[in-house]
Amino acid sequence: MTSYNRRTLIVGIAIAVLIAGVVSYFASANPDGLEKAQEELGVAGPVHPAVEVPPVAFQEYNLKWIGEGFWSNAVAGVAGAAVVLAILLGVGRLLARGKAKASGAAGT
Amino acid sequence: MHIASGFLSPPVWAGAAVISGGALAASLALARRHLDDRRVPLMGVMGAFIFAAQMVNFPVLPGTSGHLGGGFLLGILLGAPLGVIVMASVLMVQSLLFQDGGVEALGANIFMMGVMPCLLGAAVRGLWLRPKPGAATYAVTLVLGILAVVAGATGVILLLWLSDSLPRSVSLAQAIGLMGGIHAVIGVVEGVVTAAVVKFVLTMRRDAVLGPLAADCAKGVTP
Repeated sequence: MTSYNRRTLIVGIAIAVLIAGVVSYFASANPDGLEKAQEELGVAGPVHPAVEVPPVAFQEYNLKWIGEGFWSNAVAGVAGAAVVLAILLGVGRLLARGKAKASGAAGT
Repeated sequence: MHIASGFLSPPVWAGAAVISGGALAASLALARRHLDDRRVPLMGVMGAFIFAAQMVNFPVLPGTSGHLGGGFLLGILLGAPLGVIVMASVLMVQSLLFQDGGVEALGANIFMMGVMPCLLGAAVRGLWLRPKPGAATYAVTLVLGILAVVAGATGVILLLWLSDSLPRSVSLAQAIGLMGGIHAVIGVVEGVVTAAVVKFVLTMRRDAVLGPLAADCAKGVTP
């Protein structure tokens, strides 16, 4: 891995951890735009069969065993960001396979 | 702006799933042909960033909050195909692990927060890739950023209406007006944050943003 790519990962992960782990705790608890609009329009609730996925580890953006709190939110947020990162690095590596050298020298 | 479970009728969510599934398949095929190792780390950290940023609801109007969409940003930084792949990954993790967004509504959510805004972002990508993006680039980004969010919000209302999930007492125009109004305010934040993040990433990793995707090659902007 080039030092450029390593730096991108380090800086990117640091920013994501800061936002998911710390900043998100101070997020507004008010309903978001869609929830608010549904409320004001008088949308009573789901009218079609809902597909429920049982919570595996997280209850919304908190650990399901602990409930709401700074660390619960921090661990859930960082874990979620890490899962997304892992999926994309894996999928990306598969998709990029065999082309690393083709344009690797460009842009340096 | 995630549509929750039970609000879309089966024909509506199935139709959206077919369209978004097709867009995702096409994106994967394009990426298989053009993606190289240089861009994979940026793709990964942008996904982590969007996931994190969507947790941060900011106040917009009394009693109302909003959060970043991110699809518009991804379209500019990564182009539409990679943007769709990143946004679909974020939305799947949110829906399957965090009960944020209905599982059957995934196709609809991927379209309104992924496919559509990613295409709009890709439309301004060329402006940002010029040697010195000026005030006009910022202005266009802000306007299209607002448009991306308002269009997504309007699309969500249309899907709810098609699903018979809106009360009979409200007209479609009324619903779109309310939803669009709230999201115009959210869209301003989306536009400003998008421009700031694009500027930051371009300063740091211009080479990874450029990338050799077909559309860029055609415009002669590949490094």
